Amino acid sequence: MKFFRPEAVPGFLSAIGLLLVWTGVSRFFLPTFLPSPLALLSQMFSIFSHAAAYLVIGKTLERVFAGLVLSMLLGSLIGLVMGLRRSVESFFDGWIMVLLTFPSICWAFLAVLWFGLSDIAPIFTIVLIVLPYVAMNIWEGAKAIDRELSDMATVFRAPRFLFLRKVLIPQLMPYIFSSLRISFALSWKIALVSEAFGASRGVGKELMYWFQGTRADMMLAWGASFMLLMVAIDALVLRPWENRVFSWRPAAV
Amino acid sequence: MATHAVVIDGLCKKFPSPNGRGEFTVIDSLSLQIACGSFASIVGPSGCGKSTLLNIIAGIEPRDAGEVRVQSQDGADSGARIGYVFQSPRLLNWLTVEDNIKFALEAQNIGRSSWNERVTKYLHMVGLAGQERNFPLKLSGGMQQRVAIARALAIEPDILLMDEPFSHLDEITARKMRVDLMQILEHARPTILFVTHSLREAVFLSEEVYMMSVKPARIFKHLRVDIPRPREPEDPRLFDLEKGLVKEFFAVLEQDFR
Amino acid sequence: MNRQTGLRWLSVLSFVAVWWLGSLVSSPEILPGPLVIGRTILTNFTTTTGPEEKSAAFHVAITLARILFSFSVAMILGIAVGLAIGLRRKVELAFGYLISLALTIPTLLAVFLCVIWFGFSEAGGLFAVILTVTPFVAVNMIAGAKALDKELIDMAHAFNARRGLLVRKVLVWQLMPYIFSAFRYAFGMTWKIVALAESFGLKYGIGYMFTFWFEQFNMAQVMAWVMLFVAIMLVIEHGVIARFEAKIFAWRPAHAV
Repeated sequence: MKFFRPEAVPGFLSAIGLLLVWTGVSRFFLPTFLPSPLALLSQMFSIFSHAAAYLVIGKTLERVFAGLVLSMLLGSLIGLVMGLRRSVESFFDGWIMVLLTFPSICWAFLAVLWFGLSDIAPIFTIVLIVLPYVAMNIWEGAKAIDRELSDMATVFRAPRFLFLRKVLIPQLMPYIFSSLRISFALSWKIALVSEAFGASRGVGKELMYWFQGTRADMMLAWGASFMLLMVAIDALVLRPWENRVFSWRPAAV
Repeated sequence: MATHAVVIDGLCKKFPSPNGRGEFTVIDSLSLQIACGSFASIVGPSGCGKSTLLNIIAGIEPRDAGEVRVQSQDGADSGARIGYVFQSPRLLNWLTVEDNIKFALEAQNIGRSSWNERVTKYLHMVGLAGQERNFPLKLSGGMQQRVAIARALAIEPDILLMDEPFSHLDEITARKMRVDLMQILEHARPTILFVTHSLREAVFLSEEVYMMSVKPARIFKHLRVDIPRPREPEDPRLFDLEKGLVKEFFAVLEQDFR
Repeated sequence: MNRQTGLRWLSVLSFVAVWWLGSLVSSPEILPGPLVIGRTILTNFTTTTGPEEKSAAFHVAITLARILFSFSVAMILGIAVGLAIGLRRKVELAFGYLISLALTIPTLLAVFLCVIWFGFSEAGGLFAVILTVTPFVAVNMIAGAKALDKELIDMAHAFNARRGLLVRKVLVWQLMPYIFSAFRYAFGMTWKIVALAESFGLKYGIGYMFTFWFEQFNMAQVMAWVMLFVAIMLVIEHGVIARFEAKIFAWRPAHAV
């Protein structure tokens, strides 16, 4: 019975304690201001018993997915070339630094002014923030490539494509994966900010709508549901995938 | 005037088993007496509990049963100064060489006025005069270990514990360090408890050799090395002693495994 | 000038060139050129601007003050919480999951909730910032606490060092790299969230200003304020902080930095 490890007990107890405190405090406030945990749960159920909710989430997921894939592809490419060619590195490294400094809301505004209330705005925002991050990660990975292995491949006269497939890319995999998971986490949060300002439909738009109506309960319901979904994707899709790709490694101590 | 610097009586130490169930006894009813001013070696195979023994004497590992008494040269029971040289230098890499030594002096509550003098004196003694302002990571392994030795000596300890201090160095450096250690100890003569897995090293360096067996650890033989100092590393008498000890060791090990 | 610096200048110049060409091709409402933006920034500083008739310097000062305050509080809280969790296993088991939870909460939601719960006040906005940044600091400190070298602690005990000496000379230094990386990361986060908070719930400040201009669809002003903001933060992050860091870590061998 995996769940009944003794280690899980203190966490379990503290969680129960906090839920009780939350329920107690929520008695003093209107349910729209601070719902109790149970009220929140039932709120979440009622939202998702309507098909419309799934369309909203689907829309946001589409944008997250598109932005993430674009960022990973372009970012990895740029990062790889930066790591391998000093000249490219010098050309782009300043830009990476600058782009990493931009707040998401700045891009959100600019994107809306340029692209209006379309899908492009959130995707654009995601790419501009996540791409530099991926590029930086892969850049570090490319710089850390084991020289000894490259030399070995040269001595064995491995053709370029074979070298890329069997020597270079596998060494980049840990960097690709770690940036994938963090980029995913970043992307959906950026999507929310971007949608809040300029999308026709999406979870971010819902949050903005309920914020303007001062409905903390609806905001919490949408927010919590979306968060749960994101955590589920990370735990059920990304992490197992990562574990399978790295099954050749001895288990970390 | 105390005659024995270290008295251990019936010491027992248990550790929890690695598989999580129960305990196993590392040290069982070990008794030992080290005379003041002597250089004693404890020799035994790896993993037999020698480091644990030193850690218990130094007070960083608790004991389960038995007594450990450590006395200073003038017989006062508490306040015996203990210096410790570990297998790896364990220097604070973010402090300069002199600050590393001063750390130990401050830890031992030694008056600030004598700090600079001690730093200079003991760095000179280990052959690192002038290295005060360097950072440890800029020094070689051998030099770092010398700083560790200087640190332990600078507090002018009653008892110097050394846990295989040369085992992480290459053979040539280690040989040089052993000879240097002998010269250093001409000047300062604390009681020394030196742990090693090398019979050769034990026999070369010390006057008293205690042999330790494994699982559980106990002392099964004590030998005096009466060859006067300074000793030659290639002295044939040392070879003979070592041969004899090796035979005894194998005999005991076979017994243990039966 | 060596090759690398030359390439960097080329990079900047080509960006400015592309920008300028783009501005010629499109209209000033979509892509104002570099000169327009430069002029706008200057005007913002030399005259009063925006809904409250305050100069740009005023807004910049307010934003910086908020950043300084919330960043400091988040660092102190984060270090305290992180060490509490990292040093004692029981605390980690009981409360560690809250940090992971806090890290998952989107900043937008946190800002919205705090604004609703604490009103459109300084307290609400700054509380949201502190709430979001503290877990990041804590996570770094937890890693630092777990990485403490037991051998060095044993060495200090073998030499009988008192707790104060142990903390000062052995523990704090080992935690420094973690404190620093938390510092850098937290600073980067703080001002982005302050920008967000200023967009919704706070009065005055750079974020407040570019939201105002966004609602007016004034592209030139939005870009002017964004660039001003990014420029200031770049100078702080890479000028001030980097220098400080180099001095503290002088004892490390070069390639580890």
